[in-house]
Amino acid sequence: MSDPAAIIAARLAELWRTSRPSILERIAALHAAHDALVRDPADTEARSKGREAAHKLSGVLGVFGMPQGSELSFNMESLLMNGNPLSFEDVIWLGEQIEALDAVIAAKG
Amino acid sequence: MPRRILIIDDEDDIREVAALSLETVAGWDVTMAGSGAAGIVKALEQQPDAILLDVMMPVMDGPTTFRELHALPETTNIPVILLTAKVQAADQKRFSDLGVAAVMFKPFDPLTLAGEIAHALGWTDD
Repeated sequence: MSDPAAIIAARLAELWRTSRPSILERIAALHAAHDALVRDPADTEARSKGREAAHKLSGVLGVFGMPQGSELSFNMESLLMNGNPLSFEDVIWLGEQIEALDAVIAAKG
Repeated sequence: MPRRILIIDDEDDIREVAALSLETVAGWDVTMAGSGAAGIVKALEQQPDAILLDVMMPVMDGPTTFRELHALPETTNIPVILLTAKVQAADQKRFSDLGVAAVMFKPFDPLTLAGEIAHALGWTDD
C-alpha cells in the first residue's frame, strides 16, 4: 500500500479506536456542564468546562472525518464563550446540540 | 534532505494525525512534544525547520510558548505556525498580531496539511 490517502485512511481508523475513549470523556464533560447549567445557568465553572470540552472537540472531530461534529462543537463553544448570561432557551439549545453530537459519534461507531 | 518539523500539542490524537500526515504525504521528519516547555527543549536541541504549535495548552499555552521561542536567540528565526480549533475573528487577529508565520485551523485535512504548511512558509520545492 503506497497510496498516501490509503495509508492515512488505514492509520486514521486505527487512531480512532485509540482516541475514541478520550473523545467520549470530553462529550461526558459537555453533558456534565449542561446538567449543571440546567440547575444554574449562571454556573461559571460549568460554562468554562463546557467551553473547553467543546473547543477540543471542535478541533479533533473533523480530523477523524466528522465535520458536522466539529461544527456542532464550534457552535456550542461560541455560545459558551460569549459574555452574555445564558437564557433558558440557550440551555435547551445546548442540550439539543449535545444530543446531535452523540448521534454523530454513534454513527461513526 | 527532508524538512524537519516539530509539533507541539497537548492532545495525543492531534499530534499523531498531524505527524502521520506530514510524514506520509510530504516525507518530512517529524518530532513531537506534548507541552510548551518540552517543545522549547526540543526546539533548542533539534533546530527544526518549522514548528507547528497548538494554541490552547495547559500551563504554557501556544502564545506564551511562541514568545519564549522568539526571545531565545537559538530559536528566534524558526518559523512558527499556530494551530488552533476554529476561533472567532477577534482571536484570529490577536494570534496573527503575535508575529507568527501563519495561523492554521483544526480540524485540518490530513491529505492537505503538508501542502498548506509548505505554501504558508514559501517552501516552493515541497
